[in-house]
Amino acid sequence: MTAVLLALAVLATLMLGAVLAVAMDRRIAQLAAGLARQRIETEAPDRLNRNLAPVWYFALAAAGLSVVPFAPGLALLDSPVGIVIWGACEALTIVAVFLHGWSPNAPFPLIGAYRYVAIGLPVMLPSMFVLIAAALPAQSLSLLAIVESQREMWNVTRQPLGLPLFTIVVLTLTLRGPMDFADAADIATGTSAEESGAARVVWEVARAAMLVSASAIAATVFLGGPLGPVLPGPAWLWIKTAALMAIFTWLGHRVARTTPSRMLTILWVILLPLSFVHLAIAGVIAL
Amino acid sequence: MAVSLLSCLASRAPAPVFAAIGPGWQAAVERLLARTGLRGALTPRDAGILLVAGEMPDNTAEALNRVHDQLPRPRAILRWTRSHETVDDIAARIGASWRNLGAIDEQDLLPDQPPNEWKCVGPHGQGGKGMMGGTPYGRPMAMTGEDIRDGLQLDRYTARIGPFAPMLPPGLVLEVTLQGDVIVAATVQHQPFAQPADVDAPELCAARMLRLLGLGGPARRAVRGGRPGGLWVRGAVPRGLGMIEGAGDARDRLAAFLRGDSPVVAAFDLPGLLPGLEWSEAMLVLASVPPSAVLRAASLPEDA
Repeated sequence: MTAVLLALAVLATLMLGAVLAVAMDRRIAQLAAGLARQRIETEAPDRLNRNLAPVWYFALAAAGLSVVPFAPGLALLDSPVGIVIWGACEALTIVAVFLHGWSPNAPFPLIGAYRYVAIGLPVMLPSMFVLIAAALPAQSLSLLAIVESQREMWNVTRQPLGLPLFTIVVLTLTLRGPMDFADAADIATGTSAEESGAARVVWEVARAAMLVSASAIAATVFLGGPLGPVLPGPAWLWIKTAALMAIFTWLGHRVARTTPSRMLTILWVILLPLSFVHLAIAGVIAL
Repeated sequence: MAVSLLSCLASRAPAPVFAAIGPGWQAAVERLLARTGLRGALTPRDAGILLVAGEMPDNTAEALNRVHDQLPRPRAILRWTRSHETVDDIAARIGASWRNLGAIDEQDLLPDQPPNEWKCVGPHGQGGKGMMGGTPYGRPMAMTGEDIRDGLQLDRYTARIGPFAPMLPPGLVLEVTLQGDVIVAATVQHQPFAQPADVDAPELCAARMLRLLGLGGPARRAVRGGRPGGLWVRGAVPRGLGMIEGAGDARDRLAAFLRGDSPVVAAFDLPGLLPGLEWSEAMLVLASVPPSAVLRAASLPEDA
């Protein structure tokens, strides 16, 4: 019974959260209008992967959310390696976005797909360092244990670099603003350049679902997840997730995007060493 | 009930407009698309209205028809060619067409077939070498060539982009050879359309760069004459990119646009400026030069 309730909570969080994410982007009317429009096929698409890419994207968001505790000690997937499961979802998101760009068989989507792979790899490495650093005080890779380790102090204050570094990961996973190299304006919206009608809407909904999932992970790892006074655990998780979604959305609309090659330099030369230093400091403190 | 809710929501959506801009209409269209209730689509696939602004030269008819057929149905084509039709008038016409799109829906203008026949050349039929290269059905395929950065043999893909590509000045057709997204060769196939002086207005130039930097909202605010806002705007443009003698680099020019200045850009070699740049860098460089200067550069003879 508890498992069924948790499964429903995950699904409801994902769906309602996706609606909230689209509302934050002020695009509800735009997506509703898109549903009534024709879906155009390109001349020789990889149809299977074209249909599956948004499904993968949405499924990875759901899988990631399944390891998030909705109350202390209560997650749909109570895994001792919850962080690793989320890490796998992050890595496979690169594959889903690549397939979205690959499958129309057209130049601009393909450029967007390759760009995303190039950017995605160096983003995943700091992500792992940051998440492992958060796991050190808990001495466990389980998200339930990571939540318990934050009863005295949230990781956002114990490891102040963690959330800012993870913000870059979230913006990359959700194709937003300064990290939206897959669907940029210079390549006519890149991997989405050949998408129209409901197919475009489905992709946008999957992208919104990933924002919910990644924000919930950030709320769990850095803001204590369901911990908080008075209100029940799920309420605290939803409030913290929604607050982070608003911040990520605001940053996505406000921060300029540099060129891919410059961002690669920033990622490899500055952010990757910085995340390693962050991990080393967290390790020394945890000793 | 769900359907009526969706219809109600959809009716409130801003009209998605893909603009095919002709000679003399760029500034007017850019100001039009910054209005509330309209949304400039970055690809025809995302549009419901094709706005054809100005009298199009005959040699662009086929490209215009192709853009038209790329819009998903239902769709409408609107022509804005009368100078007495104000921005308010055309905005109202677009709004009315968007609300009645189902009744207007237009058929394809071109037959649904490849632009060229399959040419049975070479061992695999497409021409080229082995399974690479050639132009099956008139579409060029990638062929290996020397990488201009490190001498490795990498795929080269040649394509013509324009005259209505939203990231390029209207009318400009570039034939570019890409390795990944690095431009290894570029030639101007068609010059940009001539535009009145208003097109060099600093706020419009700034907005073109802001859009490429992923700042659609600030770009709209800039066109409307407001403070664009945005974080890390100048810093996002790499230092030294698109250096032109006397006009600084792209970051300097963006800073000037944001200050309300219009930098004077002397003649420069447009095709010579692009090779070696990544596609995104090249688009930023082009957007950082006032359109009148791009037109002068594209009009230079090849040996200039």
